[in-house]
Amino acid sequence: MLGKQNLQDLIDWMKANKNIYENITHWETIEGKKANFVPFPDNLHPKLKEALINRGINSLYSHQREAFDIAMKGENFTAVTPTASGKTLCYNLPVLQTILENSEARALYMFPTKALSYDQKSELNELIETAEIDVKCYTYDGDTPANIRQKVRKAGSIVITNPDMLHSGILPHHTKWVSLFENLKFVIIDELHIYRGVFGSHTANVIRRLKRICEFYGSNPVFISTSATIANPKELAETLTGEKTNLIDNNGAPSGKKHFVFYNPPIVNKPLNIRRSATLEVRKLASEFLKNKIQTIIFARSRVRVEIILTYLQELVKDKIGANGIRGYRGGYLPTERREIEKGLRNGEIYGVVSTNALELGVDIGQLQVCIMTGYPGTIASAWQQAGRAGRRNDEALILYVASSTPLDQYVINHPEYFFKQSPEVARINPNNLIILVDHIKCAAYELPFKKGDTFGGIDVEDVLDYLLDQKVLIYSGNKYHWMSDSFPAHNISLRSAAQENVVIIDQSDIANVKVIGEMDTFSAMTLLHDEAIYLHQGTQYQVEKLDWEEKKAFVREVKVDYYTDANLAVQLKVLEVDKEAEYEKTIVQYGDVAVQAMATIFKKIKFETHENIGSGPIHLPEQILHTTATWISLKNQLTELNEERIEEGLLGLTHALKNIVPMHVMCDPKDIFVVPQVKASHNEKPTIFLYDRYPGGVGLSEGIYSRINDILLETKHVIYSCPCDSGCPSCIGTDVLSNTGKSDSLLLLDYFIEETAG
Amino acid sequence: MKLKAKLKMYESYLTQEEPKDQVEPKQNIEIPHLEKWASFDTSPYFLDNEYCLIRKKRYPIHTKRGKYTFNDFKTAVSAWQKTNIEHPLSTKGFQPTDLFFFDTETTGLGGGVGNTIFLLGYAYFENDEVVVKQHLLPEPGGEIPLYDSFLKSIDYTTLVTYNGKAFDWPQVKTRHTLVREHVPKLPQFGHFDLLHASRRLWKGELESVKLSIVEKEILGIEREDDVPGFLAPMIYFDFVETKNVDGIMKIMEHNEDDVLSLIALYTHISFQLLGLDREQSKTEQIQVGKWFSSLNQSKQAIKLYEQALDNFDGKESWQAKYDLAMQYKKQKQIEHSLPLWKEIIDEGRGIVKVKSTIELAKYLEHKRKSFQDAINVAREGLYELKRIKKISNTFPENLQEDLQKRIGRLQEKIQKKSYNSSLD
Repeated sequence: MLGKQNLQDLIDWMKANKNIYENITHWETIEGKKANFVPFPDNLHPKLKEALINRGINSLYSHQREAFDIAMKGENFTAVTPTASGKTLCYNLPVLQTILENSEARALYMFPTKALSYDQKSELNELIETAEIDVKCYTYDGDTPANIRQKVRKAGSIVITNPDMLHSGILPHHTKWVSLFENLKFVIIDELHIYRGVFGSHTANVIRRLKRICEFYGSNPVFISTSATIANPKELAETLTGEKTNLIDNNGAPSGKKHFVFYNPPIVNKPLNIRRSATLEVRKLASEFLKNKIQTIIFARSRVRVEIILTYLQELVKDKIGANGIRGYRGGYLPTERREIEKGLRNGEIYGVVSTNALELGVDIGQLQVCIMTGYPGTIASAWQQAGRAGRRNDEALILYVASSTPLDQYVINHPEYFFKQSPEVARINPNNLIILVDHIKCAAYELPFKKGDTFGGIDVEDVLDYLLDQKVLIYSGNKYHWMSDSFPAHNISLRSAAQENVVIIDQSDIANVKVIGEMDTFSAMTLLHDEAIYLHQGTQYQVEKLDWEEKKAFVREVKVDYYTDANLAVQLKVLEVDKEAEYEKTIVQYGDVAVQAMATIFKKIKFETHENIGSGPIHLPEQILHTTATWISLKNQLTELNEERIEEGLLGLTHALKNIVPMHVMCDPKDIFVVPQVKASHNEKPTIFLYDRYPGGVGLSEGIYSRINDILLETKHVIYSCPCDSGCPSCIGTDVLSNTGKSDSLLLLDYFIEETAG
Repeated sequence: MKLKAKLKMYESYLTQEEPKDQVEPKQNIEIPHLEKWASFDTSPYFLDNEYCLIRKKRYPIHTKRGKYTFNDFKTAVSAWQKTNIEHPLSTKGFQPTDLFFFDTETTGLGGGVGNTIFLLGYAYFENDEVVVKQHLLPEPGGEIPLYDSFLKSIDYTTLVTYNGKAFDWPQVKTRHTLVREHVPKLPQFGHFDLLHASRRLWKGELESVKLSIVEKEILGIEREDDVPGFLAPMIYFDFVETKNVDGIMKIMEHNEDDVLSLIALYTHISFQLLGLDREQSKTEQIQVGKWFSSLNQSKQAIKLYEQALDNFDGKESWQAKYDLAMQYKKQKQIEHSLPLWKEIIDEGRGIVKVKSTIELAKYLEHKRKSFQDAINVAREGLYELKRIKKISNTFPENLQEDLQKRIGRLQEKIQKKSYNSSLD
């Protein structure tokens, strides 16, 4: 190409270039939208009004106005708004207005990460400065120096923090924050959708503790949250805060025209259905934009992927824009480096950035012109947030989704409608998970004694309190349960990690530089980190030299071998109690508590390519038991068409696809849910598929599955059916199924499991 | 599933605490072991349906505690009245009865709302006696009578504690906040925290400045049969459960010893500051001198250094001489500083010698304008630095830089001067 091309030229080029255009499976154009402006509220404080006008804002978007009106009435709301729609004004305006009307009023802002707190604080302070008002706004987190902490506690009208700090740094010391808790008018929860699964379940309990303390000091704050697009923002906000919440979703912000392009790399091996690497395709496409100095953001799923793409691109475009014109951005970079990159993007000195989902959250980098996703980011909410990074208000924007060959990616690329209708993902939390609940009741009792008959988050907790009495953690005296232990419970409870101890993976290839390269839950470690296992970590092979089960440490060393290991795990699932069930003509679906007993037995060494078994050995590890919640579906009648072996292979195949479909329905990572098929389940001797929560006690994922199991199975069938491979590939039933009939048997079995009437 | 059954099922995931024998929580107002308490000078204090226990014990004023009697404290306070020395620990304008010597025992370590204070203990002077008063929380529900009785008893202006600024008093504030609607307000107090004084005076000398070590090594107090403070939470939990009083009485005696030691400690520190201790060690003299100089009380500091130097010999004295010279300089009596610096440069060694060359060079350069002499002195400093470099791991880069810059500047000045004089 000659001369500098603009975005429109490149769009035309993509359409005209056969090598590119033939890989485009879908091209959706979303027309621009005009802003829906409404006047400022009459009662808006003159100083705020003046500050907004000085900043070039002469009216509000409709959703900002609605937010202001609801908040000033003292009601809770959650606002669902896309990137760059002015969501911060939704809460900053009512908060500042309230503080101007009553200088004693306080607000607590909670952001999931420190980087976001930093960003929001500067934005808020700019508004405060323009308005020339005296409102003290501080961040309070692990980085806050000791000498200014007291000032923050005494004088901060707005305190910006994160849930972890609230949990271990603020609530257990609430007597030092009396003026905050006595006058707390607003609690702001930004990025609501992040609070799901284990983290969300923990945070919901932190909020229960916060509300308990507010009640003690006589305040009753309004809860305001903002969320990316998920299916159930109102439900999530209400479960998280335990408060009735209004939903604001009438986005009044304008948007430019957007081209949404689905790009599926060409197939290079037809029978095995292997496609060209998404990374290489992204390199090719991104370099065209960057060479023409079109600001582009490239998202990749892992840190390593980010580095690989970055290296490729820097090499390709260094002559045109200089090596510093394109940068990487991910966790592990220093804060100052991040700030510099964000600034470079805003002022246009940096043309391209390759990022993990770190830039998906609301960090301000301005709006770019092109967004490229290397692989599906995992959830629709993430995908829309990433896409939102491209698109200045009045300019056109291009969003390119380049699929990899995983079932999920292939499903999405073949179902653009899935992407463009309202998001089907539901963010689940389970604040009443017993393990999480008991942890936070301990913290709550440390903070304030429980009176007999007190509830916690609306639930009766007397049994838990009695249990803690037995454990000698509490003492019952004067009608109250008092904390009576010399420990500080919040320090032993992390909001972001699972209850179970993880196995730490230690690389001792270089004796002088022994390092931890990862960790794994104990359940998975049995089959992946046993002695002599070949463990793959970011493309490198390691052999486990010793698994120290007592200490939960796996010592590995880098190796180069031509085989992988595959361990047999004997899993027994015991149904302990059925809480819900639905019976159909051919199937029965149940939800309840299960005990998963698992024991690793032997492992095989399997040669790459030929798949021949070249050796085996025993595994000596104790049986593990996991108590959790599960949904399971069983056939009511025995299958006569297939023998047991074929049923097993068929179930194995459909499980592979099912694992990948589940996260699209309940918002989670594929590893948060286990899917286990059984030819003869121990409780009923029938072919059964179990789907259970990885976290002990469950965080609501399997419950979510229960309510939509039929849809999930239908989609699983569709994925396998529409896969172009002959008899199974990584994009459908996986490579564990060895028989040629695996794919058709999977489909046959699915037909039995799917309830026609319900579908 | 019933929550109880679930709890059983998930038991292995829940953090377990050490099991102990269980007793039924009691809720009646009958006080166990009342006679035992009475013979331990302890009686109950009732408020609404709750109570706490208060112990009151008197000591004659001539009771000896280590090197001092309680009466020596009165001597110390009256000595402060007669002096002009200013110091943060000065009780000038105080009566001995204005102070109370305070210490708490708690159920845990560190600050945090759930760390309960179960014993508030203090000593004070009344007529010719020292009174120790202790308020004990019999079980966690009784904090209202505990703080009510405590706050109605303390009619003093100033607290004397050991680490009370960082720990005991903030913790009192924390627990008070929880019952503040039911008990009197927390008054404002002055606060002498003797931990800071101990750190200044004995940090270099003692392995730690814990109160138990200071009282043994410095005050000559030997405790008999003492229960170490870190066992207090466990003993208290046992007391709450079993009502068995033996252990908790030991803790109360430990607390009593602590508050009584504070009286002796305040006395000793005052004597140090006022120069009334004839057995004052050389390091104590130097440390007190340093303390005064950091408070910009140069006159007082000079006096102490001079005294210290009379007793000093050998290597240790160089630092003292240097400190003294710096005090003279501050007092604009540099004529007294000069012989000290010269002496250190001629006979001393080490960093203190280098610093003295810098001081002397400064003087020669700015006051005397004898640049060549200043260069010579500065070079001697550099030479000493070279020697230090050979034998020591830590090397003061900044001193070297200072000297080199100084020499460079002095050389320029000499050149300029000779150029100027050639013009004349």
